[in-house]
Amino acid sequence: MNTFLKCLLYITLATIIISCKKPYNPPAISSPGSYLVVEGVISPGNEITTIRLSRTVKISSNIIAPESGAAVTIEGDQNETFPMGLDSAGIYTCVIGFGISKKYRLRISTADGQQYLSDFETAQNTPHIDSVGYNLTQNGLQIYVNTHDPNNSTHYYRWDYGETWQFHAKYFSQFEVVNNQLVIRSKQIYGCFASDSSSNIVLGSSANLKSDVIYQNPITNILATSEKVETKYSILVREYALTGEAFNFWTNLKKNTEQLGSIFDAQPSTMSGNIHCISNPNLPVLGYISVCSTQSKRIFITNLQLPNNFFATYPYDCQQDTVKLADLPTILTAPPGIFDITTQISKNGFLVGYFITTPICSDCTLRGTTTQPAFWK
Amino acid sequence: MRKFYLLCFCYLFFMQMASGQQTNNKLISGNFQQATIAQFVNGVESKSSYHFYYDSKSFDSLRITLQVNDKPLETILDMAFKNTEYHYAISQNLVFLTKGRQIKTDLAEGYLETTTTAVAANQTTTVADYTDERDKKVPEATTENKLYEIGIKTNEIKPGSSRLSGYIRNIKSGEAIVGASIYVASTKTGIATDQFGYFTIILPRGRHVLNIRGLGMRDTRRQIILYSDGRLNIELQEQVNSLKEVKISADKVANVRSAEMGVSRLNISSIKQIPAAFGEADVLKVVLTLPGVTSVGEATTGFNVRGGAADENLILLDGATIYNPAHFFGFFAAFNPDIVKNIELYKSSIPEKYGGRLSSVLEITNREGNKKIFTGSAGIGLLTSRLNIEGPIVKDKTSFILGARTTYSDWLLHLLPEAYKHSSASFNDVNLGISHQINDKNNIYLTGYLSNDKFKLNSDTAYSYSNKSLVLKWKHNFNNKLYSVISGGIDKYQYDINSTANPVNAFDLGFNINQTNFRADFTYYLSNKHTIDFGVNSILYNVNPGKFEPTGAQSLVLPQVIAPEHALESGLYLGDKYDVSSKLTINAGVRLNVYNYLGAQVVDNYAPNLPREPVNVIDSTSYKSGQIIKTYISPDIRISARYLLNDDLSLKAGYNTLHQYIHLLSNTTSISPTDVYKLSDSNIKPEHGDQVSLGIFKNAKQNTLEMSVEVYYKRIRDYLDYKSGAVLLLNQHVEQDVINTQGKAYGAEFLLKKTAGKLNGWVSYTYSRTFLKQDDPNAGELINGGAYYPANYDKPNAFNFTGNYKFSHRYSVSLDVAYSTGRPITLPIAKYYYGGSERVFYSDRNQYRIPDYFRSDFSLNIEGNHRIHQLTHNSWTIGVYNLTGRQNAYSTFFTEQSGVISGYKLSIFASPIPFINYNIRF
Repeated sequence: MNTFLKCLLYITLATIIISCKKPYNPPAISSPGSYLVVEGVISPGNEITTIRLSRTVKISSNIIAPESGAAVTIEGDQNETFPMGLDSAGIYTCVIGFGISKKYRLRISTADGQQYLSDFETAQNTPHIDSVGYNLTQNGLQIYVNTHDPNNSTHYYRWDYGETWQFHAKYFSQFEVVNNQLVIRSKQIYGCFASDSSSNIVLGSSANLKSDVIYQNPITNILATSEKVETKYSILVREYALTGEAFNFWTNLKKNTEQLGSIFDAQPSTMSGNIHCISNPNLPVLGYISVCSTQSKRIFITNLQLPNNFFATYPYDCQQDTVKLADLPTILTAPPGIFDITTQISKNGFLVGYFITTPICSDCTLRGTTTQPAFWK
Repeated sequence: MRKFYLLCFCYLFFMQMASGQQTNNKLISGNFQQATIAQFVNGVESKSSYHFYYDSKSFDSLRITLQVNDKPLETILDMAFKNTEYHYAISQNLVFLTKGRQIKTDLAEGYLETTTTAVAANQTTTVADYTDERDKKVPEATTENKLYEIGIKTNEIKPGSSRLSGYIRNIKSGEAIVGASIYVASTKTGIATDQFGYFTIILPRGRHVLNIRGLGMRDTRRQIILYSDGRLNIELQEQVNSLKEVKISADKVANVRSAEMGVSRLNISSIKQIPAAFGEADVLKVVLTLPGVTSVGEATTGFNVRGGAADENLILLDGATIYNPAHFFGFFAAFNPDIVKNIELYKSSIPEKYGGRLSSVLEITNREGNKKIFTGSAGIGLLTSRLNIEGPIVKDKTSFILGARTTYSDWLLHLLPEAYKHSSASFNDVNLGISHQINDKNNIYLTGYLSNDKFKLNSDTAYSYSNKSLVLKWKHNFNNKLYSVISGGIDKYQYDINSTANPVNAFDLGFNINQTNFRADFTYYLSNKHTIDFGVNSILYNVNPGKFEPTGAQSLVLPQVIAPEHALESGLYLGDKYDVSSKLTINAGVRLNVYNYLGAQVVDNYAPNLPREPVNVIDSTSYKSGQIIKTYISPDIRISARYLLNDDLSLKAGYNTLHQYIHLLSNTTSISPTDVYKLSDSNIKPEHGDQVSLGIFKNAKQNTLEMSVEVYYKRIRDYLDYKSGAVLLLNQHVEQDVINTQGKAYGAEFLLKKTAGKLNGWVSYTYSRTFLKQDDPNAGELINGGAYYPANYDKPNAFNFTGNYKFSHRYSVSLDVAYSTGRPITLPIAKYYYGGSERVFYSDRNQYRIPDYFRSDFSLNIEGNHRIHQLTHNSWTIGVYNLTGRQNAYSTFFTEQSGVISGYKLSIFASPIPFINYNIRF
């Protein structure tokens, strides 16, 4: 069905040929009080259960408002309770272990005295990910996931992912300035690792199929010109089993925040999840708490595996400039972060000057880290 | 028939030859049956030496039936002209026949004694016409200055009223002229022709001048003397000199005089006048320029009439219901402008013969083929081309018209970015009309319509939809007082989507709706005060709400079929147009709707007074095929009245109720191509609406300026809205996702039209509001907490100007200006972080508005030369759509891009769009 919706979206896009999309600043919108947002998955077993609490903010605001100072407890249907500890701002964690409970819910009491409770949800076993792979597309590649539930009982799936890739700065910076002196750079800033996590909702359903099989469900797309596939790329795909209600909640959220802008937009609406404010039933609460185990799979893709047209374009416009030896002091005394000195310029074996460039073109640490992640191989 | 009489006559004539007498005083024998004057005169002349002189025009309505044996000429003429105003004078062997006055063959003598005798017998009995109806030749009235005599001539006109009926046709093509008006100044009565060009008017016997006006026809008049009930066919000439003229009403006096309210009529020439986005006249876009009609935006399939939803309009093409009236998802109307004759939109006074929709009836009438000669036309535009041919199959009896349109828009798609380059789109439509006149009393009409749309995305997902319909109509005149139209037809709408992009998920999804219609409509002219309409109609629906099937061997798609739905919707109606006095006219009608939801079906029964949710299903009942599951019986009332304050000022009021049994399931702002229709069943109640309206109508400057102000208030009950996250397609239990919604709409519509002159057109302003409210106690979560919220198409202020200025007969310019308040939209009021990105939180529905809408279009129409006799006539239309290039917002929305929410404005036709169209007629 998802494919079908996408087709519809494409049809729509094509009809927009004679249309245009421009940024829009809405009129001053009166913002109500801020509401509690609850995000996370209760994972029975030895995995860490992470619950993130935050507040809604004004549309024009740029901040995320984490909700710390709340008492968060996971409750099992067999009267088990698992208090959660505040890990960092708004992040609460605990390990439930393999208890006797079959169903779990979340109880929150916030610092402002409101009590929240989620519905009991049956713990679901998320099937293993069969494989993560990719298909070449017209302008890049598409990462997909394959999975199936031999028990034919899951049907609804959600995935998120973390990407890590190795990349290089445009120019190799051989030198650095230390105490206004030009020295050979002690730590390389040419090759780095960058990472990102999914920002879009990826859902799949086999409810319409004869067997509970997800075949090549698209996860993300990478352009052939992307730095992500310049050298080596890795993606960790995490899978969560959903109930039908949770699937509807996520579908609605995706529709209302990612798939708008066509001619045939559905009326936007916010669908309430399975969390309720018990001290004030009229107070909206956002989020849906699922109870399931997490499955994950990591793959690596190197540039050598890919066709020749996979050639990264450096994301910034970069040029080198020359500095004559005589002008070097101005460079050396310039505040840091304005220029980076890359290489020497020699003429007939004599040093006559240096190439300089802007840090964004030579310093990969501005966009990543030189530390290789532990999983990298 | 005529030939037969001629033969009879000839035979008798030869028989008589032998005994025929050759001298003036000889006795003459003859047998004349319904002989024309020419036949009579020839007969007499050949048997005698008399020579007749007469003006054939004055005698063309005279028929002579007599049998004489050896009688002198005087006696024969006395008998022939008995009780008529014809006279004769005999001078030697010359006979002068005159009408009205007598020729004296002798010099006037003081005590003259004429050789002729004016016959003057006072007729005291009612004039009875004993000739068989079908034997009568109905006079074709083609000239203005001739006096036509209707009925049996008597030399003294009997007081009282008689009935005149007949057809108004185009003299060139023989095509019926719909909505032409006949107005009799002396009695201040008027009438308009029906869809077959037929009229019946009751007038006092005597002499009258009929003023006739028809759409695109030259205004004309006919002079008649009405002796008794009779028929008169009137042929009108086309207005050839002004090929493009904005006219919106056929009937210049109808604005003030008809009892109808909220009715707009437009003929194709005014539709063609209005600039359209791609240069081709668009029947549906024109509707949007009328007061009280709005849409949610550019390029949408539906339109909203007086606060009604888009599925509350009944769109009829020559009696066939069209479910999807647009091509290419709303960019083009699915009606060929070369075939369409005119459109009528009923917003308030919906005739009782129509039912089944809440808001309006849009009747689109196609032309009949030319009954006299073969003609055709063709048009070439940037995206579409069209061709139509028409002509007689049997001259003056049977004609056909065939029109076809196709697109070649692929070039536009190839301009798209790589991702869509391999897409293709096509559409076409075909219209066929055959009309056949069996005799004066029986006509049959066959119309067929077919439209197809195909869209293929990157050669793996194909989307298609089509409308098909066939209608057969039989019109029968029982007599001057009663006629009937019996029709039957089938309509089909279907769509299909299939995708093979992912072999495991490869699917084929289909939806279709089939309906079989039958209707019998009768009109009875009871007296000059009452015209009665009555009839019955039925629609048998067969809906296949969705079929989802695998395609290809690898597909694991589970076939899913939503059980087909069946229903029978019937209506029995009776209406009376009652002229209470010359000032007051009342149209009152009642329509009894009977709706049966039929098996085979399995229906879920829900616990009473609990939300319709899966947990509240008590059990389900299984019904056999054809078994009645649920019956809804509901009467509709349709009343309107007109009171004439003076000749050009009237007050009108109306009240009507309507019911709707078929619902379009759509939770998108505009109708989406995958929306499905659902029939009312045990769990989904029919929609119900009623409207009260009041209007004041004024004509000025010899009826060339029409003004009207109409106000209305409307209630809508049990309109369907949807729960948040409702699934409407392939849902086995739609009733669990719908919420009954109540609505109210009110507004005032101001219209000023100029129907003649170098500058013509109309200006309208509408103030209207539409609110909806969910108060279903069993619905669970309600939108806006059950309070009223503005509907998507609630645009309080709407202004429209449509004008045409003719510089000369060859050049004219048109300008169309539209302004309206922006439609309501739901904006987010807060944002939060969820699922790796910023998300937005929407609050109350439709509490904000997109920026106001403004658009102006311009076109220049250039006609070729106006010589009537040339091989082809051609014309050019050049123009610009959205002249100012204003980027009107279609919608504003907030969407995530790399984890950040940003606001966007979507505009369609966001820059001036030039167009050119070349039309050719042959």
